[in-house]
Amino acid sequence: MSAYQFFESIATKLLEGSPFGIAIAVLITFGVPVLLHIIFYRTVASPPSSNFLLLGPSGAGKTALLTFLESKSSFAAKPKSHPTHTSQTSTLATIRLPVSVPIGSNKYRSVNDTSLKEAQRNPTKYRVKDTPGHGKLRGSQGLSELLSMSASKDAQSKLRGVLFMVDTAAISETEALRDAASYLYDVLLVLQKRALQRGKSSAKAAAEIPVLIAANKQDLFTALPQGSVREKLEAEIDRIRKSKSKGLMDASADANEGDGEDDILGSYDLKDTFSFKAFEDEIGVNVDVVGGAVKGDESDEVGAGVRRWEEWVGQCL
Amino acid sequence: MLEAFEILSTSGVVLWSKSYAPVGSHVVNSLINDVFIEEKTQLQNTTNGVSPTFKKEKYTLKWRRSKDFNLIFVAVYQSLLHLGWIDKLLDNISTIFIDLYKTQLKGERARIAEYPFDKYFDQQVRELEDNATAGFVSDAPAADAEARKDPLASADNGGPPPPPPQAALSAATSDEGSPPQTPDIPRVSSPSSGHIITGKAGPGGRVSRRARKAANASATASSGDEKVRKGKTPKSGKKLRVWDADGLADEDDGRVLDYSAPVEDDDASAPAVEAVAEDTWGRRTGKGQFVLKDLGDEVHYILENADSEKAKSSAPSGLVGSGFSAIGGLLRNIVGGKVLTDADLEKPLKAMEDHLLKKNVAREAAVRLCDGVKQELVGKKTGNFQSVDAALKSAMESSLRKILTPTSSLDLLHEIDTVTKARNKQVNSRPYVISIVGVNGVGKSTNLGKICYFLLQNNYRILIAACDTFRSGAVEQLRVHARNLKELSARENVGAVELYEKGYGKDAANVAKDAVEYGSANGFDVVLIDTAGRRHNDQRLMSSLEKFAKFAQPNKIFMVGEALVGTDSVMQARNFNQAFGTGRNLDGFIISKCDTVGDMVGTLVSMVHATGIPIVFLGVGQHYGDLRGLSVPWAVNLLMK
Repeated sequence: MSAYQFFESIATKLLEGSPFGIAIAVLITFGVPVLLHIIFYRTVASPPSSNFLLLGPSGAGKTALLTFLESKSSFAAKPKSHPTHTSQTSTLATIRLPVSVPIGSNKYRSVNDTSLKEAQRNPTKYRVKDTPGHGKLRGSQGLSELLSMSASKDAQSKLRGVLFMVDTAAISETEALRDAASYLYDVLLVLQKRALQRGKSSAKAAAEIPVLIAANKQDLFTALPQGSVREKLEAEIDRIRKSKSKGLMDASADANEGDGEDDILGSYDLKDTFSFKAFEDEIGVNVDVVGGAVKGDESDEVGAGVRRWEEWVGQCL
Repeated sequence: MLEAFEILSTSGVVLWSKSYAPVGSHVVNSLINDVFIEEKTQLQNTTNGVSPTFKKEKYTLKWRRSKDFNLIFVAVYQSLLHLGWIDKLLDNISTIFIDLYKTQLKGERARIAEYPFDKYFDQQVRELEDNATAGFVSDAPAADAEARKDPLASADNGGPPPPPPQAALSAATSDEGSPPQTPDIPRVSSPSSGHIITGKAGPGGRVSRRARKAANASATASSGDEKVRKGKTPKSGKKLRVWDADGLADEDDGRVLDYSAPVEDDDASAPAVEAVAEDTWGRRTGKGQFVLKDLGDEVHYILENADSEKAKSSAPSGLVGSGFSAIGGLLRNIVGGKVLTDADLEKPLKAMEDHLLKKNVAREAAVRLCDGVKQELVGKKTGNFQSVDAALKSAMESSLRKILTPTSSLDLLHEIDTVTKARNKQVNSRPYVISIVGVNGVGKSTNLGKICYFLLQNNYRILIAACDTFRSGAVEQLRVHARNLKELSARENVGAVELYEKGYGKDAANVAKDAVEYGSANGFDVVLIDTAGRRHNDQRLMSSLEKFAKFAQPNKIFMVGEALVGTDSVMQARNFNQAFGTGRNLDGFIISKCDTVGDMVGTLVSMVHATGIPIVFLGVGQHYGDLRGLSVPWAVNLLMK
């Protein structure tokens, strides 16, 4: 009973028109909308929701690209790529797209759209996640990240594209080629499984995650041109595909009699040779090979080597 | 001399680096690969104060990790040199760097920000190097700290190598007072014997004051005394030489300061204050060191702060405080967001170790795994609503996954393909040679049969070489396998198989060599070599493996180990791995009899832990088709169940 009386006394105090009661009323009237605004603004306008994933074998230049893009978008006097070493952990960085790079969604806008002009002041941002390329860390960080990001329904962590970096100077050696190709095989397999699970309706095709094979280190003398990188990767993936289809089952295969056909990349008919074009036609996952260089463009304007990759990123936005 | 020093983040970006000589980036990369990722090198525990080192080519690398900021500090120096102060340098640099750039490192732009750290680093290196030449490095930490307080004083001392008996005596008589006082002695140019007596006599304060007075007298008196100094300078080190080059103008500076010095001196009797006065004096005369001095003070301030902080944190809090923290700890254990300490982890780690032991993981491997997890977790915060056990479990899972995942892909067919494709172009080249070794009775011949069947399915022509020329019945056993497989392959119309045998009693290495030659002459794609089983701790039998590897030149050497074996698996793997001589190791393990152990598949972990060599196949049954590749998630699941 005393509690009731206590509340009653408070209510009476508040309603009797004392300055204290008025102050509280004013505070609530103005404070609550402001508070609500802050809360909702935070959740909506927080980091850009277009994510890209940087994958690729160790030493391809993933971290170098990320730091270069980062320093480029931070208005540094002279953007440069920092020296890097083998990564052990993933990093996420927000990067500003250069104004001169057109955005893919521009085609839906009118020429007179004011937001096109505003882009000058308000450049598009995207996030890039760099992953370690070391063989032991690929599964736990690169591929699992790809799985979770591609599967997530949340707009925050939705994946817009995959940047797969390849060292074109090293790829002429069989060891490096095999390494890169087997990683790329795993990546494409994840995307293929995802595509097949969603069903084959054409409306879904637009939602597929495109892959850019960034043929890095084009500035080096021994680098292969992008066309031949494409050929080499296609041939190697074809070889992996064939040997995988003939290879042994995993120890886990006994437990759940999974359907084995999912595990082969590309068409089920092994007579066909693998090509990125056919893969796109069949699965709907777009794969581009574009050359570039993170380092070594002293003579050109800064960032010319990564310009074409940025354009690709712009097309995905 | 130090070759390079780098500060890098775990995400691979070099935040700051300094190199005195070009060091290829592959040196640091191999440190990261071998030590941090693959954990090839077994790190000794740092209990005895010696930090781990890593040797690559002609360099030795030492490092420190900062878990809070995910930073790695790496020092690279030539292995020929023994630099005792590297540990100190790493400690100091990591403290200073983190203290200076705390906010920047936590910020968004940590990776691309500029870190103007050169001067701090130079100061530290100079200081420690000078200390080292003065012979303080080998001293006790107390003396070291003292030396840190007045770097230049000891630097002055560093010039002329002090007569050995004097140094020894002064070090012996007074533990803490000797560094400040020694510089004065040469300046007064008193005979060294006299100093020994005073040094013996007792407290450092008195001695240095007397020395100070003498120095003052000399400074005020005339340039005559200056001459005495000058006369001595050619012998002395670089600091003094700089001072000498400044010439007459500089003497005024010194004198002005000297007037101030006695005032301080008279009311100061403690050696610490004495040392400071000494500092300013020495710095003033050595022109161009003003910046250095400020920097030094800043650095020392940081270092002392860090030290005192450490002392504070290690000091036990009051009864009430500990009670509160205990309750808070319990709450946080449920809610999450608890910073893990050694004590928190002790019990769950013990439970985890027992769990691993129950799964037939060798004790050595289990302890190592637990240590690794502990090092990873101590100082970390648990997630929201994550208990300590859950955090531990997920960390253990990821470290198991890491240890089992092979570094490069193990596509055997792919590799055979590349070899045989090269063969088609030129005739009479080598086939792909696989040899199988192992302890008695683990299933070498059985697994050889399984691999043979698997390769036959892929249309290869296979030669089986019976190099077990020791155990009776071994050749006949293989003959039966060969006959069965021949019939199977004929029925399915794939591949071809043949047995190469030379009876018993021959030297296995020679038989293997002949078999490979026979195989290449007759156009076989793959040669599978069966060897005699041998006990891994029998030196006589194991030594013949080296010759075998040299003669047969196998592309792959697989060791068969049974899943049933327990702790012995570590030694088996290690001994077989070393048996093939330098430059040749095992290429993979085949773990047989996996179907007989249920979920106790700890042998997988033990073997990989011991050698870092991946598991290629698992034997899961009695039939030819019962060969499987390793699936890491499957194995981790079984182990954590």
